[in-house]
Amino acid sequence: MLTGFITILLLIAFLSAILYDRLVVKNRKIDAVFGNPERANGGYHWVLAGSCSILLLWLYFSWDIARSYYPQSANELCQVAKVRESVLGINYIFPIDQRTLKSTDFIERETKKINLLKIEINNADLNIKDKTQLLSFLTKSQLMIVALSDEKNLKKETQSKIDLVAEKLSSLTLRFQSDNFPEEKSTEEKEKRKKLLENQTDWGATGMEIPPYPVTKRGEKFESASIEMNVIVEEFFQIKNDHKKFIDLSLNLKNELKEFKNKLTESQTLEKDYLRKISKISGRISRSNIFPSKSLDSVERAVKEFDETQKVEQGNLRVIDTFLFPAGTIVASGETCSEQGAGRWLPKPTDTLRIFLDLLKPSVGYKNFPMLWYQFIGFNEVIDFIVPDWIADLLPGEYPVHSSNGEIEPNFKKHALNIVSGEFDSFKIPVPSGHIWDSFLRVFLGLSLGVIAGVPLGLFMGLSRFAKGYFDPVIELYRPVPPLAWAPLIITVFGIDNSGKVFLLFMVSFAIMIVSARAGASGTQLSKIHAAHSLGASKWQILRQVIFPNSLPEILTGIRVSIGVCWGTLVAAEFLAGTTGIGFVENVARKYMQYEHIWITIFVMGMLGLLFDLAMRWVIARTIPWRGKG
Amino acid sequence: MKLFRKIATGLAVVACTVSFSTIVKAADEVNVAFFLEWATPNQEAKVKKMYDEAMGVKVNWTNFATGVEMTEAMLSGDIDISYSQGMTPFVNAVNAKAPIKIVDVAVEYGMGGTGCVVSNSAGISQANAKDLEGQKVAVPLNTMADYAFRMIMSHLGADASKVNVVDMEPADGAVALVDGNVVMSCMFGKNSIDKALEKGKMLMTTAEATAAGITSFDITSATDKFIKENPELLRSFLEVTAEANATYAAGKSDMNIIAKDAGMTVEKTKNQMAGFKFPSPAEQKATWFTSGGKVEGMLAFMGNMFATSENPALSDYSKTINTSFLPD
Repeated sequence: MLTGFITILLLIAFLSAILYDRLVVKNRKIDAVFGNPERANGGYHWVLAGSCSILLLWLYFSWDIARSYYPQSANELCQVAKVRESVLGINYIFPIDQRTLKSTDFIERETKKINLLKIEINNADLNIKDKTQLLSFLTKSQLMIVALSDEKNLKKETQSKIDLVAEKLSSLTLRFQSDNFPEEKSTEEKEKRKKLLENQTDWGATGMEIPPYPVTKRGEKFESASIEMNVIVEEFFQIKNDHKKFIDLSLNLKNELKEFKNKLTESQTLEKDYLRKISKISGRISRSNIFPSKSLDSVERAVKEFDETQKVEQGNLRVIDTFLFPAGTIVASGETCSEQGAGRWLPKPTDTLRIFLDLLKPSVGYKNFPMLWYQFIGFNEVIDFIVPDWIADLLPGEYPVHSSNGEIEPNFKKHALNIVSGEFDSFKIPVPSGHIWDSFLRVFLGLSLGVIAGVPLGLFMGLSRFAKGYFDPVIELYRPVPPLAWAPLIITVFGIDNSGKVFLLFMVSFAIMIVSARAGASGTQLSKIHAAHSLGASKWQILRQVIFPNSLPEILTGIRVSIGVCWGTLVAAEFLAGTTGIGFVENVARKYMQYEHIWITIFVMGMLGLLFDLAMRWVIARTIPWRGKG
Repeated sequence: MKLFRKIATGLAVVACTVSFSTIVKAADEVNVAFFLEWATPNQEAKVKKMYDEAMGVKVNWTNFATGVEMTEAMLSGDIDISYSQGMTPFVNAVNAKAPIKIVDVAVEYGMGGTGCVVSNSAGISQANAKDLEGQKVAVPLNTMADYAFRMIMSHLGADASKVNVVDMEPADGAVALVDGNVVMSCMFGKNSIDKALEKGKMLMTTAEATAAGITSFDITSATDKFIKENPELLRSFLEVTAEANATYAAGKSDMNIIAKDAGMTVEKTKNQMAGFKFPSPAEQKATWFTSGGKVEGMLAFMGNMFATSENPALSDYSKTINTSFLPD
């Protein structure tokens, strides 16, 4: 209900954004010429239109619009799918979904194989007697095909069985069209059905669940038809073209093959090989159950007729299926149904939102870990983490030893050690935790380390002949290597904890930062440096006041690029050894086919990336407002 | 206007090709998924092209790292038959109402091919398995190794949900154990387990696990569509498999071919296969696929173990089994 309302709202917003552009903005006078970046300013109504079209596409392709406007359609389509499933086998025999009869296809394929084998045997190094014998087997196999294809051989009984099936199909088609189909059920069955329906939830009540038992009249019709159809199809596949001539031929050949095989000695491997191939072919032919092409006409007609009828009976359901279930449809598997296609892997926005809100609850989380929450950590633990323990070792004096009565007198050095190693009672402070926070922290740490190390080195390389030459080989050697190529090594070197993942991200951002800082430093206008020199600036002042500000645009762009690449690498790193993090959630969700969760992680990553980028844009606007203007 | 016409013609051409290509698709080849490092007798038949010969069509074999990927490929229509898919991924797929069915039991194995290795330095044995709670353990989630992990933990009285599970593929898990990053690693695949055994020992030996009732089996699964449309091909497929298994049972399999195809040494292959059983069609019909039999029981048990709120356990797993293609 709400989704339907939102859909209309989005549509209106989208259209009004376009209208707004046509009516208002088009007529606004601007004097900026083509190529002036000012022409790209503003345009927030297009942001609205863009967001609306993304949401509309999502609603449409996830079949959420179908669900909100036609909540019963999935249940009805499920029944239609049951019918489709019931005729799948019989349809495949006839040229309905393919070009030729299945038997024609089969004969073509086998004849080709037989002819090839004949040529092969003719050219093989065998004695004449065996050769003729083997060739005769092949000819007999072909005769079997002939015997099966000939209408004259078909038993009257078989033909009447086939016609009976066709009749049953036609009668089903006829009854299917009438309004009183299916016939009234017995009270017992009604009770049973009622109970099943009571336990049945609505479409999407638990994720991708589609209610399998029909609720509507039309659904009941299709379900009953599918049940009857299954019986008829089963009966049809029981019919075998087993006339005497064929059975004789087949038995004969089988015996001859056996006889020939028994006569072969151990060393005649070539003959054995050919014999095996021939017996496989003849075996396939004897099981093929080919009918003369004309004999099945009645069934084919009946099947096609039924197909037409069921399409007509679907009524507006077909339109809904085509237009509101894009890129896929509902597929039945026995009694149950599932969404296959876009609806399966693209979860509905409403479901996604519901699951996302559920995941955000700290008590639920994912794999016993919240998405984003806080936990209380003692201040001492923070100290232990930040201050390295060896500081205590540097202090003068010795650590206390135990005295003769077994007591330990703590001295100053011991107290200092207790503080740096966090062994003291303290207050607790809230610290963020959760999958999102962990991923964020990894990216942030990797990025900051990369910037802190990369920018000075990059500037240095841009300014000094030594640094450029000395560091160039190693950096240019590792920079083009995709970061994931390092990933397998990272596990062994750094282990599976954060340090490895952060290091991987550091490598990514480090290379990018060096390149951008170096380009910035060497791209500073010489006239500015000369001007600073002539005004008497020192080296440090030139670096600080001229070169650094002038390379800032490049550096900040480098950071923006790094952020994107870092997120990309992070997910892969978290795939590798998953403990926490968004990449971990996504990988596990994939293994459990939780497509909603996968989309949630994608969405969260997109949002975090956007957040980082917005922050960078803000920094850029604050620090280098003069960019591109001088 | 010219541009518009160009675009319209282009779209029409694309639409035509798409619709034609979807209509005509006869089964002139069959796509089968299988595992590396998982030696089975039918690999000899696979290498010798016996499947192609018996089915009369081209059989393409694609190797996969996990059963989950097999399911994904089956749902997208790229794979028709998955040979030796684990029960865990299969159960998760049918819980999600995926249109696939069990058609055959491929391999029964004790925990020789799948198991948990504890690091020597961790000092953990069966007696104090409870100490694993809160420690790091590498488990490839939603695989048979995950199942083995949960079964072993519950058998030894430890709470699997309290263990700090790290999701790692078997090869990575073995490395993590050797490097001392995890105290235990649960894996499948002979190479990975052997690598881990360099610095550890099995938490439960194969015999102990079997005695505790922790065994499992892999199955052959096929898509509903393939089952309905090409039943004779599926039947031939299972026949060749059964023949290969019979050859192996008679001791006539060529181990060199199998080992090479599985990507292992002959010795490792022999070791691994010693822990495998390949039930014959007759056995399967008699004890495995009976109503309420081994397969159904296992499906229901695992279905409930891996059920999630979105994909709850089915009420009746017998409908995910189709034994009509087992050769006589």
